[in-house]
Amino acid sequence: MMQQCGRLRSFQIALVMLAGALALPAAAQTRGGTVTLGVEQDIAGFDPLVVGVYDTGQTATARLLFDTLTKLDDNAKPVPSLALSWSPSGDFKTWTFKLRPGVKFQDGTPLNAAAVANSFERQLDPNAHCRCAIYISFIDKVEAADDLTVVFHLKNPSPNFAALVSGTYANWPIHSPTAIQKLKEGYNRHPVGSGPFRLKSWQSGDRLVLERNPDYWDKDHVYLDEVVIRPMPDNTARFASVQSGETDIIWHDRADDILKAKKDPHLAVHEYVGSGATVYAFNTKRPPFDDVRVRQALRMALDLKTFSETLFDGLWQPAKDPWGPGSFVQCKDSGTLPYDPEKAKALLKEYGKPVAFKMVVTATPRGRQIGQAFQEMWKDVGVDMTIDQIDQTALVTKAFRRDFDLTPWRIVDAADPDIQAYANFHSGSPVNLSGYSNPEVDKLLEDARNSGDQEQRVADYCKLAQILNRDVPWFWTLDNHYFSISKPGLMGLPKQYSDIIDLSHAWWEKKKS
Amino acid sequence: MPGLIGRRLLYLVPVILAVTVLTFLIANLLPGDLAIAILGDQATPESVAALHQKLGLDLPLWQQYLHWLGGVVTGDFGRSRNNEVVLHAIASRLPVSLELLVFAEVGGLLVGVPLAILCAVRPGSLFDRTVSAVAFGSLSVPPFMLAILLIFLFALRLHLLPATAYVPFAEDPVGNLRAMVLPGATLALLEWPTIMRVLRSDMITTLQEDYIAMARAKGLSSRRILLVHALKPSSLTLVTLIGLNVGRLIGGAVVTESIFALPGIGRLLVESIYSRDLVVLEGGVLVVAVGYVLVNFVVDLLYAALDPRIRHGRA
Amino acid sequence: MAALDALGPVERERVVRQRRRGLGVVFWAAIAWIALILAVAAFANLLPLRDPDHTALLARRALPSAAHLLGTDALGRDILARAIFGARASLGIGLLAPLLATLVGASLGLVAGYLRGWIETLLVGATDVLLAFPPLVLALAIVAYLGQSVVNVIIVLAILTVPSVARIARAATLAVREREFVTAARASGASHARILLKEILPNILLPLGAFFLVLVAITIVAESILSFLGLGVPPPAPSWGSMIAEGRDSLDEAPHIAFIPAGVMFLTVLAFNLVGDTLRAITDPRRGT
Repeated sequence: MMQQCGRLRSFQIALVMLAGALALPAAAQTRGGTVTLGVEQDIAGFDPLVVGVYDTGQTATARLLFDTLTKLDDNAKPVPSLALSWSPSGDFKTWTFKLRPGVKFQDGTPLNAAAVANSFERQLDPNAHCRCAIYISFIDKVEAADDLTVVFHLKNPSPNFAALVSGTYANWPIHSPTAIQKLKEGYNRHPVGSGPFRLKSWQSGDRLVLERNPDYWDKDHVYLDEVVIRPMPDNTARFASVQSGETDIIWHDRADDILKAKKDPHLAVHEYVGSGATVYAFNTKRPPFDDVRVRQALRMALDLKTFSETLFDGLWQPAKDPWGPGSFVQCKDSGTLPYDPEKAKALLKEYGKPVAFKMVVTATPRGRQIGQAFQEMWKDVGVDMTIDQIDQTALVTKAFRRDFDLTPWRIVDAADPDIQAYANFHSGSPVNLSGYSNPEVDKLLEDARNSGDQEQRVADYCKLAQILNRDVPWFWTLDNHYFSISKPGLMGLPKQYSDIIDLSHAWWEKKKS
Repeated sequence: MPGLIGRRLLYLVPVILAVTVLTFLIANLLPGDLAIAILGDQATPESVAALHQKLGLDLPLWQQYLHWLGGVVTGDFGRSRNNEVVLHAIASRLPVSLELLVFAEVGGLLVGVPLAILCAVRPGSLFDRTVSAVAFGSLSVPPFMLAILLIFLFALRLHLLPATAYVPFAEDPVGNLRAMVLPGATLALLEWPTIMRVLRSDMITTLQEDYIAMARAKGLSSRRILLVHALKPSSLTLVTLIGLNVGRLIGGAVVTESIFALPGIGRLLVESIYSRDLVVLEGGVLVVAVGYVLVNFVVDLLYAALDPRIRHGRA
Repeated sequence: MAALDALGPVERERVVRQRRRGLGVVFWAAIAWIALILAVAAFANLLPLRDPDHTALLARRALPSAAHLLGTDALGRDILARAIFGARASLGIGLLAPLLATLVGASLGLVAGYLRGWIETLLVGATDVLLAFPPLVLALAIVAYLGQSVVNVIIVLAILTVPSVARIARAATLAVREREFVTAARASGASHARILLKEILPNILLPLGAFFLVLVAITIVAESILSFLGLGVPPPAPSWGSMIAEGRDSLDEAPHIAFIPAGVMFLTVLAFNLVGDTLRAITDPRRGT
């Protein structure tokens, strides 16, 4: 155990020393130019207390507006950003970050340990009722030891904590406490961070214009003058926009277009196979899903291979477990149930009662398509499913209130499975949507959470996958595979970790006229 | 004339009041608790009650209405679920919709008026019959079908025009106009048939009047007769038509703005419906409905100003 | 002038022409198309069709062939079967909503136009207020909140159509109420109910019928817009609007998925408009003067 920690620490020190070298350009970057990014949804704002969670448009924008304590390099290892160095306690329950000196927020106020602590404390404040708190509930408190030292006290050991703090989903970006205090309710739409770009204008529903932050601490490695973020909810239109050059890069998830773009010499496809999967939760507190046979039957009636190959051109592969190909958890045997409609029928016959239920889908062409595909596969084994279409926001609310029979969910790519696995599968978690409670599962989750031994953790998670695949309180359909499509000249894009498009150090190969 | 304005104004006030009442009722009678919608999973009985009190939802309905009306009159439409000031959201999107409506109406007139004149000159000719048939056919095309067809042809196949490249006019005037071509054309293609059909039959009637025959006898050129003597009286019809079309165009704008990703008021309304954001929906519907009433009020006055019979006769 | 009048003014010379030549080939072609669509929709269950909801993912986006006469959609469902079962939804809503609206709206308009006075003022004011609201937005909002079902769609579309029907009915009643036979009936002491039902109603049935057909066309379009925006007939049941919306997702790869239902819907709407317009031109009360 101690040996393990020692190895980790020395590795981190080596990384800190390497960091300067990593930031150096490999090729001659061109300065200037604008990049227009097309994202899927309209951007609601950036105050985690108001919006709760970020979607892909918000994470990409937050990557530019804000800094995080660390960032991930190409091997998914944390490297310095706001924090110059960090060290865990022996039990991985206390993490100390040393901050980069002299960093200022875009409003001119200093980014110090107190500001970092404030960014987290306000989310954890029970009176704030922040939906975001679920994802950092393992943090007990954050304190500023001195001006440049932040100490995170965790409720449980977290060996991968330094990697976790790198993502720009709602929790981790560092906000200016002065701006929050000054703007109050208005802060959500007037975010102030310390990132390489700052907000220039925002026409709601249309575009968000960011301009280069002239006082950025790493301004020599910021090349673009402006980044424009445009919400484009319509798939066809978004793809057409990058084809015609209205946008320079788009977030995209439509298989036909991605295949087309791969063949198109005027387009470049960036892809990243992440951890996690698209998952679905059965409400095991209600019939018919309180019976394991029904859940197994439903899973076995799904022909995920055909589903993946036809509707998604095989770009997203059937998922074996909720960990995914991009995770460090790789299992020899996840115990995935096979596609076996005959067995499914037999199980349903054993159950004896007719099975009818409602499945929640997002009110989008994609949601309806998936819903109808499942509907037919289940109809083939004699199950009657009704589609319940709702908007994304309403979906989350409904799920949290357990007002569903079967709901889609997502386990997003993350440096460590712990947070989401614990939140989704532990019987004591508020996000245990399925209502599934199994002491063995709880034990495995706690064991994996409290252990600093990665091999032991992998074994725990694989055992967990087998139990979950056997009891089917949740099931997984497709892997997480993230795509963006750009013009070929757009360089300097790192891997799309957690589906975050990172333009902070992007540059144009040739000057864009 | 002042008397007429007074009478119309007297009618306008109750109509607008009724519009506000109805908007308020629709928004408040739709099922779903605003507080629960805002709080989401954080909705506990206590937090819901607290928010009810904060938002005034615990008051009787009529008090809530007065409170809301008071806010609206002073420009306070409340805040969206994302804490955006609703008045700002509406104000920033209104110009986009207005530009679209102008594009549609001007496009419709540019196509409709010349065709109507050419048809009216020789009613029953092959040209007239063809144009009338096409116009009639166009009336049966739903706006979204037309939008898809235009995107398919001009954006996907020919790559001539952008489908969704909206930029603010101030930022890039040429880009703005280019981006408005397809959505504008979608609505204009739905507009010209009504303009053409109404104006055509109007002019056919006018051309049979005695004073046209007199003008002909006086030896005036037929172009002058057509454009001055025949078209002028029909301007009344056009004014009325444009007023009426506004309502229909708003319906078309909802669909068109959604498909072409224009940040207009129509898309704002649709998005507020999808995200169950009642405050935005309420504000948007009110602005659109009052706008419609006002446009028709102006049209009525214009009509009266242009037509002496109405000015002096019974209103 | 009601907003829906925009569909066309009286065209005297065309009426004259029509009287001379009968109703014309186009009119009868439109009638034939409507009859055909109504028949296949009504007897869809008896026709040798594939299951409209049956997906065959491996056979998705197929072009028309012997196996699938009009090809398959993005989930491999038979487009012909879906277009015909879609006609059921589209026409069912397209006929029922205007029917409901006509029953309610015509009664209101009839009473208001006949009794006049404050009832009439109230009705005109109310329709003015209602017509100010963007109907599509209201329909979307109400369906979104009340829940997506065929019944809700019918009710919403009917409610939104009532004001224009009431206006037309009132105008037609006004044109009839001073005619000799009404005055005569009143003089002979007939009750209001009797006059309304026996004297006035038969005389406004034709214009109302013509308007009803135009409303069918408008309602089919309205339902398709709701379905297109995902708030019409709930999936997997097909309606023309949802078929077009689903086809739009494959517009570049397989345009026929969207354009086949679009074509069928266009022809149907056109046919209803044509028949309605022709009937209106013939029965226009101003014709005789």
